[in-house]
Amino acid sequence: MPALIKATGVTMELTVTSVLTAVGLGIFLALARISKNPFLSKPATAYIFFFRGSPLLIQLYFVYYGLPLIFPALNISSKFLAAYIAFSLNIAAYLAEIIRAAIQSIDKGQMEAGRSLGLSYGQCMSLVVIPQSYRRMIPPVCNEFLMVLKDTSLVSIIALTDLTFQTKMIASNKASALVYIPSLAIYLVLTAIFTIIFNRLEKKFSEYE
Amino acid sequence: MSIIRTVDICKSFTTVEAVKNVSLSVDQGEVVAVIGPSGSGKSTFLRCINGLETITDGEIYIDEELFEKRVKGHPHVRMTKERRAEILIKTGMVFQRFNLFPHKTAKENIMLAPINVKKKKEQEAAAQAEELLVRVGLADKFDEYPARLSGGQQQRVAIARALAMEPEIMLFDEPTSALDPELVEDVLRVMIGLAKSGMTMLVVTHEMGFAREAADRVVFMADGEIGEVGPPEEFFTNPRNPRAQQFMKSILHQ
Repeated sequence: MPALIKATGVTMELTVTSVLTAVGLGIFLALARISKNPFLSKPATAYIFFFRGSPLLIQLYFVYYGLPLIFPALNISSKFLAAYIAFSLNIAAYLAEIIRAAIQSIDKGQMEAGRSLGLSYGQCMSLVVIPQSYRRMIPPVCNEFLMVLKDTSLVSIIALTDLTFQTKMIASNKASALVYIPSLAIYLVLTAIFTIIFNRLEKKFSEYE
Repeated sequence: MSIIRTVDICKSFTTVEAVKNVSLSVDQGEVVAVIGPSGSGKSTFLRCINGLETITDGEIYIDEELFEKRVKGHPHVRMTKERRAEILIKTGMVFQRFNLFPHKTAKENIMLAPINVKKKKEQEAAAQAEELLVRVGLADKFDEYPARLSGGQQQRVAIARALAMEPEIMLFDEPTSALDPELVEDVLRVMIGLAKSGMTMLVVTHEMGFAREAADRVVFMADGEIGEVGPPEEFFTNPRNPRAQQFMKSILHQ
């Protein structure tokens, strides 16, 4: 049991850190994608195409095994770091599309009102449009978060000791498949906790309505 | 001295020519009402002045300073971003659909631009916002979110929000068209008060009562062109332009 809890910590840490990183990167990608400047929008579109269009598993393999071959200096010795990089880059592509859709769903009149008051494009985005889009992002971001929480089980293929990997080890050591039960329970509890947190957030951002 | 002067401005979208060679100047302290059938280019004209649409031909001067100039087929003559922004804040805009920021209270809506554009201190901006809200008759709504205000109240907050930037001219784009009839009066009263206080105003409207009472000049637009310009008494009693005659008839028959 202590081993499972420790492994749960790894699953949690990987999920939360990579989603948080991906939110930052995703906002940047989304803004680049809707920019009128092709030097911003084209690379952003390509990035999103690449990371959504290829399997996360291969991306993970590539970061862990492939990158060090191409750039020997980039010897990613830590499994956790490799997983964190692969997940962040991958999730950012999905979040970018969620964020873009949320931003573009805000009435054009909001930007016009902001501009007519003398606010710059950037100010309109950061003070007027993006804050209003939070509420619309939260349900799909919650969805994405839960997917990631479970997708992190992929890291067992690079032998990073997350909840799934640990469960498998215990199951084969003790030759008992019953260990899958607490493991499933832990995933469900985590999912429940985060669903509640996201619901709270959604309520908080809807206060003004 | 003219606050706004347009010289032969045109605006065409891919399939329609919305504004055709419109030349108009609005002097300081003057209230000009722009009327005409829907689709006549009135709103587009107003939006060009505020930089929300880019003209395809012509010149726009704000405060006798060139704001935008375009000769068809030639590149744009445009100010630097900074200069353009400086000129633009001389015009305040009120929209048909209010466009208040829903995530901000009435007071915060008004304070946003003074704090972020004019770099006013928060306290100073708050005091100004409260004063403006009192002026538009919303002394008890400082901390209300737009969703909890009626259309008429929202539009009055929007007027206060534009006034907070101390513009030299206020542009109104059909400010009462989205309102329930019983709420129109409150907004018009604020606008008439504003006109009497000496504010320069360019108002696209369907409210003939307002045009008659508060306007110094009425501009009639049809098919993207100015059909007739004149003092309200003259225009309303005896329109000369055939399109204007037809328009007045259709309104009176309602």
